[in-house]
Amino acid sequence: MDYSQQTRQLNLKETHYYQQWVTLLTQEGIEGLPQTVNDVEACFGIFEGQQLIATGAYQKNVLKYIAVDHHYQDGKLFNAIISTLISALAQKGIFHIFVFTKPKYRQSFEFVGFNLLAETDVAILLETGDVSLQQFIAQVPRPRVQKQTQAAISAIVMNANPFTLGHRYLVEQAAKASDFVYVFVVSQDVSLFTTAERFKLVQQGVADLTNVVVVPTSDYMVSYATFPAYFLPESQDVIGYQTALDAQLFKKIAAQLNIQYRFLGEEPFSKTTALYNQALATNLPPEVTVKVIPRRQAADQVISATRVRQAVQAGMIETVQNFVPDTTYQFIKQNQASLQARIQKGMQVDGN
Amino acid sequence: MEIKHTAIAGTLESSDIQIMLSKVEGATEIELESAVEKQFGAQIRTLMQTILDQYGITNVKIKAVDKGALDCTIKARLITVIQRATDKENDPDWEVLG
Repeated sequence: MDYSQQTRQLNLKETHYYQQWVTLLTQEGIEGLPQTVNDVEACFGIFEGQQLIATGAYQKNVLKYIAVDHHYQDGKLFNAIISTLISALAQKGIFHIFVFTKPKYRQSFEFVGFNLLAETDVAILLETGDVSLQQFIAQVPRPRVQKQTQAAISAIVMNANPFTLGHRYLVEQAAKASDFVYVFVVSQDVSLFTTAERFKLVQQGVADLTNVVVVPTSDYMVSYATFPAYFLPESQDVIGYQTALDAQLFKKIAAQLNIQYRFLGEEPFSKTTALYNQALATNLPPEVTVKVIPRRQAADQVISATRVRQAVQAGMIETVQNFVPDTTYQFIKQNQASLQARIQKGMQVDGN
Repeated sequence: MEIKHTAIAGTLESSDIQIMLSKVEGATEIELESAVEKQFGAQIRTLMQTILDQYGITNVKIKAVDKGALDCTIKARLITVIQRATDKENDPDWEVLG
């Protein structure tokens, strides 16, 4: 790098830096920038003199807001900013990194070691680091069915926050209709019930179904990398292209695991989930057939995990006892205090 | 020697190489992205394998992004990342270095 150029961390809460940052990103065609930047953990900039000429940021393991002043674009600044971000993440012990960008930047990222995961006309998703999609797929258990190529294999992806009889019903329907069912439990740890708790409750809840296996999604389905809008409020447009990418990535995984069906629960409440279901129905066929199962009702009430969380918050878990399997109910009863403490600390109950 | 955790050394800048070392089950894997793969790919891989052998490291994945580094740079970066991944930054293996 030029000795006249300097890399510094940018505090976007400072107006001076924020304005320079917005000017550069806007100039390079990145639109819809937030007024206050809350979706960034750390942001870096390269300056020449007082002028910001390249920038990049990250949140968790996802790189974002990357731009280089086109007057300088010979690749050096791009490599320098990506290098800075990778080193900063490495210091935090994060080595598996994703980036969500426009198709025209594909090659720039491939030159610095990223591999393409999924693409649509408007966006691409790439990854780099010590874990890869191929490794993830390799460690997913394979069904013990006689002829794998002829078996009907289905998949369900669920956050299960927590596992209810509604989830159970969905799994049962899939298990009846298929030779083998993968239940992928979302690994992103941002829900009221922790990833380990959700995973264990799903495992216990389907333990008697012999043709079902429960698998973590890692970062490859409904995560901050593939579908951040599932966890953060976003506009319909953003949800649209994120869900399309998530669906493309699922197709790639499905092809290797021989998954022909994706079962979905009908979604009457969450707008984001409804849009997600719609995107899956559009993007998955013909390779993967989408089966939508209507929600199960208990005493004329639709079973929903949101209601269960609301009951936990209100301290009235008896009211939802018939919504959940006994394993989930016992878990909530034993851990009610700690769950309520999480809600008091700011954990959302109404989101996903 | 055993890899304790993933580690990284080097940068993506011109004449440098960024090397990430992580543990895997099974044979050693070297994934190399390099603009000079055609001319020097084999030589870079051999150099890396020789250093891994000197340290007695197996079951490892190397992910390297080369931006035209010289052999001495590659060696320095690889030794650094090995020390980081084996928690030996403060206790280098003098015999290999010598």
